[in-house]
Amino acid sequence: MAKILVYSEEMGVLEELLGKANAAKSQGFDEVLTAVFGSPPSTEQLAEMGTWGADLIYTIQDPALESYHPETYTDALTGLILEAKPDLVLIGATKRGLEISGRAAERLGLGLASWCMDFSFDSQTNDVTAECMIYTGLGKKTYRIHSHPALATVAPGTFRPQAQPDNQAKVVDITVPISEPVLQVLENNEKAETGRRLQDAPVVVDVGQGVRERSDLAMVEELAQLLDGQVACSRPVSSERDWFPEWLGLSGLKLAPDLCITLGISGSIQHVIGIRDSEVIVAVNNDEGAGIFAQADYGVAADLYDFVPAFMNALKTRGIYKN
Amino acid sequence: MKIVACIKYSHDVSEIKVDPTTKELRFAGVPQRVGNIDQNVLEAAAVVAEQYGGTVHGLTLAPHSAREAFREALAMGLADLTIVDSEQLGADDPAVTAAVLSAAIAKLGDVDLVVCGETSDDGVSYQVPPRVAERLQWPLLSYARNIVYAEGQLTADRDLDSGMQKARTPLPAVMTVTQETNTPRRPTLMDALKAKKKPVTIWQPLEDLGLSAEQIEARDKLECLSEEGIVVHRKQQVFTDSDMDVVANQLIDALLAAGVVKEH
Repeated sequence: MAKILVYSEEMGVLEELLGKANAAKSQGFDEVLTAVFGSPPSTEQLAEMGTWGADLIYTIQDPALESYHPETYTDALTGLILEAKPDLVLIGATKRGLEISGRAAERLGLGLASWCMDFSFDSQTNDVTAECMIYTGLGKKTYRIHSHPALATVAPGTFRPQAQPDNQAKVVDITVPISEPVLQVLENNEKAETGRRLQDAPVVVDVGQGVRERSDLAMVEELAQLLDGQVACSRPVSSERDWFPEWLGLSGLKLAPDLCITLGISGSIQHVIGIRDSEVIVAVNNDEGAGIFAQADYGVAADLYDFVPAFMNALKTRGIYKN
Repeated sequence: MKIVACIKYSHDVSEIKVDPTTKELRFAGVPQRVGNIDQNVLEAAAVVAEQYGGTVHGLTLAPHSAREAFREALAMGLADLTIVDSEQLGADDPAVTAAVLSAAIAKLGDVDLVVCGETSDDGVSYQVPPRVAERLQWPLLSYARNIVYAEGQLTADRDLDSGMQKARTPLPAVMTVTQETNTPRRPTLMDALKAKKKPVTIWQPLEDLGLSAEQIEARDKLECLSEEGIVVHRKQQVFTDSDMDVVANQLIDALLAAGVVKEH
């Protein structure tokens, strides 16, 4: 019986992986497995994972897994793979997923394909080939993964969740060996939840370093609101200026809105990968040579501080709306 | 403290072009150099050595012909550089790179700390540091910021995106840094002059590291079947009128035509 195992500590990412795993049953997978590490999940949580497509949920309850620790979670993932005996394992490529999957793959001597965008499975031979993003999204390579199981990491936002309302998951509690960690976790500071689901926004206004002051975000927010949109940003605007908790790009969120308006974004491939699936992209940048114009449907080569007020004015005058 | 800074000889990804018809990736004229993230690696290693005492030794897997490309890296606080000479090793499977680097780290001997970028500029697999840590059986302090060494332990804030985790580890350990970890120094002219005299050692992966071709092949689990560039078709229409009201209305007309907004 062919089995596909999916794991992410992020519920949103897990739903995406479950969606893809379920769709892959058409390729010959019989069962979709997943797992929860740490405190026992609630009945509702388990039922919900079933409705996103899990057939079997392994729970590994161990005091050492109550909060995230890279070593104990690596032990748990390794033990899970040995216990579940899957043919293919998909792991969400969050910072946590990346560090534990690399280490678990090395421990088990397995091949791990990074940034998997799609895969195919031969149920006769159990062969997995994975189509993977390379060079930060400029291209893709197709790999045959010569290990059993085959492992692959999947960027958040790559696949879409597919609700299976009638599906119910079996739950199996397992115990795996977990070593005393060497690294000591002193403190966990979770970032505050914003309550925003950028993934659901029909319009995204994408802010780059060309937006100069934090107070300028008021204008940007106003533009987003006119079109029922949300404001997002590039990596430096989040990680260096700390204006937003998350960013768009290879290492961040990948969105596919109907309309993405970039303001002061230069257009590095590492960022563009986060907005590339938008239906229409508008770029506003005062540098005519900015790379973003090659990635956009419509470009405005002007100072965003001149253009945005004029654009908002025209939107209001003409009664333009989103939905 | 003996610190090894792992450096990736990387393609400048922003220069790689995709042929729109054949989807071929074009590498002609794409420079290979020490990666951007490696500047952060060198800075982090140098700061730890300067603040707490120690030496930093550069390690890279690259063709020996690339040695000139490491001149600036040598000027950023390295005592010396070891190049494991290979054009092709690890091109597809990061497990091969990790095996070569960990064998070299073992051969360098008495290493207390290995510093790597969280991921390379071009390969971007995020696999090499965890695989190296696993092979060495050392703890991995990844995505480190605010690095402090005290009482034989290294403490850092780990940026896990969804939150920060403060963690502490005894040495030896592997640490990874991100582009947010620090601001790399600009080497002075004096640093650059001194760098010319710093020793560069070339090791052969088979002869000098005791790896066999069979061992390497057995670790190479990713067989590349095909490669192509991703071509995204965009209209690339730029509005150039100097009157912003005109441009705003042209853009609105275009968005209406594309069907992504509506008009009352």
